[in-house]
Amino acid sequence: MSFTPGQPVTAVVQRIEIQKLRHGDNLILGFSIGGGIDQDPGQNPFSEDKTDKGIYVTRISTGGPAEDAGLRMGDKIMQVNGWDMTMVTHDQARKRLTKKNEDVVRLLVTRRSLEDAVKNSMSRP
Amino acid sequence: MPAEVKQEQSPSNATSLAMMQEPQEMVEETVTIEEDPGTPTSHVSVVTSDDGTTRRTETKDMSSNVKVTKMVKTVTTRTVRQVPLGPDGLPLPEGTSPLGSYTDSIDRRYMKNGGDRFITPQATSTLTRSYNNSYNDSYGETPESQYVRHYGLHDGYVDLADNYGSLSRGVNFRPPRYPYLPNSYRPENSYTLPIRKDDYGHVAQPQVPMGSSTIDLNRSQPERFQAEPYGLEDDRRSLGQDEEEPYELEPDYSTANRRTLQGANRGRTHREPLRDGPRVRGYADDPIETELIDERHPYIHGMYSAPLAQPERGSMASLDRMGGRRSPSIDSIRKDPRWRDPDLPEVIAMLGHPIDPVKSNAAAYLQHLCYENDKIKKDVRQLKGIPVLSGLLDHPKSEVHRKACGALRNISYGKDNDNKVAIKNCDGIPALVRLLRKTNDMEVRELITGTLWNLSSYEPLKMVIINHGLQTMTNEVIIPHSGWEHEPNEDSKPRDAEWTTVFKNTSGCLRNVSSDGAEARRRLRECEGLVDALLHALQSAVGKKDMDNKSVENCVCIMRNLSYHVHKEVPGAEKFQDPSSLQAPGSAGPQRKKKDDAGCFGGKKAKEEWFNQGRKNGENDKNYDTLDLPKRAEPTKGFELLYQPEVVRLYLSLLTESQNYNTLEAAAGALQNLSAGQWTWSNYIRATVRKEKGLPILVELLRSDSDKVVRAVAIALRNLSIDRRNKDLIGSYAMRDLVSNLPSGQQRPAKNLEEDTVVAILNTIHEIVTDSSENARSLIQAQAIEKLVAINRTSQSARETKAASHVLQTVWSYKDLRNALTKDGWNKSHFQPTVTATPKATKNGKPGYDDTTLPLMEKNQDGYSTIDQRDKDCKYKAGDSSVDLTEREPLKNDTNRKHYIRSNRPAVSLVDACDVKPQPVDSWV
Repeated sequence: MSFTPGQPVTAVVQRIEIQKLRHGDNLILGFSIGGGIDQDPGQNPFSEDKTDKGIYVTRISTGGPAEDAGLRMGDKIMQVNGWDMTMVTHDQARKRLTKKNEDVVRLLVTRRSLEDAVKNSMSRP
Repeated sequence: MPAEVKQEQSPSNATSLAMMQEPQEMVEETVTIEEDPGTPTSHVSVVTSDDGTTRRTETKDMSSNVKVTKMVKTVTTRTVRQVPLGPDGLPLPEGTSPLGSYTDSIDRRYMKNGGDRFITPQATSTLTRSYNNSYNDSYGETPESQYVRHYGLHDGYVDLADNYGSLSRGVNFRPPRYPYLPNSYRPENSYTLPIRKDDYGHVAQPQVPMGSSTIDLNRSQPERFQAEPYGLEDDRRSLGQDEEEPYELEPDYSTANRRTLQGANRGRTHREPLRDGPRVRGYADDPIETELIDERHPYIHGMYSAPLAQPERGSMASLDRMGGRRSPSIDSIRKDPRWRDPDLPEVIAMLGHPIDPVKSNAAAYLQHLCYENDKIKKDVRQLKGIPVLSGLLDHPKSEVHRKACGALRNISYGKDNDNKVAIKNCDGIPALVRLLRKTNDMEVRELITGTLWNLSSYEPLKMVIINHGLQTMTNEVIIPHSGWEHEPNEDSKPRDAEWTTVFKNTSGCLRNVSSDGAEARRRLRECEGLVDALLHALQSAVGKKDMDNKSVENCVCIMRNLSYHVHKEVPGAEKFQDPSSLQAPGSAGPQRKKKDDAGCFGGKKAKEEWFNQGRKNGENDKNYDTLDLPKRAEPTKGFELLYQPEVVRLYLSLLTESQNYNTLEAAAGALQNLSAGQWTWSNYIRATVRKEKGLPILVELLRSDSDKVVRAVAIALRNLSIDRRNKDLIGSYAMRDLVSNLPSGQQRPAKNLEEDTVVAILNTIHEIVTDSSENARSLIQAQAIEKLVAINRTSQSARETKAASHVLQTVWSYKDLRNALTKDGWNKSHFQPTVTATPKATKNGKPGYDDTTLPLMEKNQDGYSTIDQRDKDCKYKAGDSSVDLTEREPLKNDTNRKHYIRSNRPAVSLVDACDVKPQPVDSWV
């Protein structure tokens, strides 16, 4: 998924729905995010393009809701409940994911393997 | 490990010492190296035989340092030629070409194993001749007849195998002769001896002496060989010896001996496993055998009579005395056919024989016997053989002192420190050093330095070696072989170091002695030219990219050890101390400014501040790079070189290029030592490591498969993080690698790291996290909390538990992080020091999204403050040694050099960017 400023982003995405888990007063998704336009993209270990300031899944807690839903470490989050996540600050993304009044988050994520799968299926019909 | 260990040990130890694995994070550490045990490598044992042909140095890692080398030189036979000569008569010995013959003989020997019979025949012939000759000369009448008889014996020999009975005869005959032999030994000997006696009496003896002894050696070795894997080596060794002998001795003898040996060997190998046992011959059927037999005889003769062999008649005379006149009747001789090896008391007695070749052969034989045989070594000691060997070191004849030295090397190798002490008690160390000064023979030098290396593995002898041999070893070996020149000529271009065995041995010895505490370090540092030469050698190694050898390892270990506590021990160190360092670390409280100043131990020193200046005054950031090192009025030399910032590049090169774990550990340990302490130079060092882009190199090594490398690197990082900037960088880039080395709850990590290493890593993490909530955040993001909690609650190790607890407490002390922690399901109970595990029952945290990352001021005041760390460190140290924080126990070198396979370069670079980028944020949702 290449990204060129000013150009529309095309990506192969997967839809993932995560049911939040209630933990005391907290609702948890069971993963962590990194990235954001306020962060140094060069330190993102997952991005192919080191200028990509998107939000990435950095860790998944074992047995947590995100893992159950099929989220993987290194996934890039494109949208959360319809909200764009490719041009947000880290904190904006975090808040968007942790709305107290939402029990479910629907993510659009992309990952390398998805892109490759599509590419392969297209190249050899 | 055991035997070899010793020899090596010291070296290795020394080396290893350097490593300093110890956890003591803060400290510099480590001198440690010394211990032998560690050193797997010790080469000490290497023995080389003059023969030129082969020496083998076997280094086995014996338990302790010592490596025993078997010196066995294959003395094989060179005889062929001689044989021809022999016929001529006297000429044989001399005329025969020693060297040529040697070679030949060697081949033969080898052949023998297979079926060399043919060779033997030749040898035999030679032997005979020699006998004849000697006979003629000295004895005139009897000799020949005796010879004949001997031959007869040989023939009989074949038969003899069976006959020990003959021995008794011998006994009868000889009793008088024994005199030179130890009393005790007689009785026993008698069985075997008889034959010998006969020989003595006869002419044969003379010839035998040289060759024979060698032969014996060979024989026994061969036998062993067959029995054991070593055999080959031994033979070779023995050969070497023989070769040497040739000079002094008459060629013939040597050949004869060799031949005999061969024959003997064969026989023995086949039949006799033990050298003591009577030899049996069972070749009868073979024509070859017959020949062999002949050979054997001579051999036999030679052994005892060896002295006679010498040209001098006087010697002959002595032989006579010894041998006693009795010339056994021919018949009896024949009957006696069997010959036997001298037993230990006999061999030791022969060391005092008036005839030099006898001495040297006896010593060579001893060397052979002692090879990897702790029992024999002990026996030699108890029979008072060591003082005699030591006395022979001053013998003017090179054959004699060489062989004596070879025997001492083998004896000194091994765990049995009593042997080493025995050598010391008879002033063997000064004698070795004298000989080192005196001789130019490379082999002798190798033997001397190998012996010293072995001796140096025993703690109590280290200072003795320093007192007697330090300057000599430096002047005679280290400096010349390092390529360093005191006052380089303008013309001469710099020379590279030569990685000779002598250099390796000597550096190994120095490595071991360098771990003997402050006084030893002081002596070495102040030894003129030593540091300069070692540095030159290492630079040369880096330049040539040849740094995986033992010599480099030894040098680095010495450097590491000498770098230990430089800030306290070097003359004039006071001048460089940070004034602020005088205050108690914990007491600095008010002064410190949170971020910038917090030193690992609390007090930031002025120097430190100086370093941090840039940080404080943002615009001055560049200062770091432009740090001006103190101007030097004159080129630095001697121990000052140890801590000049220039050495950083050297160590970093080693860390980058070397595949040798010991070298890696030592280089990291050196940086650890240099970056410890609060004086000006350690500040420079810490900054220089950063500027030379050393942090990424170190962090990468955290992925090493070697436990001790990881440990040394972790501790080095801890010391380096005394520098604030380093701390920030390390916290940002090294955290994941540090955490990944920690065991996780159930399963141990892929690398099963030792407790010390885990503790070291925990302490390093603690240091990094202290005074830096940013780093604490990195720690949390690296998912370390889970591991830390698991260690805190379930580790079997009290030290691990405590170290983990300190980290957890420190993390919890950052109030701004608590929200994030509670979000992750942690609560205060997880961060309690108590090991009482309260299963994390309750996870109640307030979801707070406070992003403020202000470091808590209180941190320092907390129990977790650095001070505690110190305590911890002290304990560690205490456990290990009484030394301060820093000192590490001498590490042992693992001889095994595993090749460290470098993992891919870390994606992240730890390079000290002028502006540190903010740590990436990572939030759990």
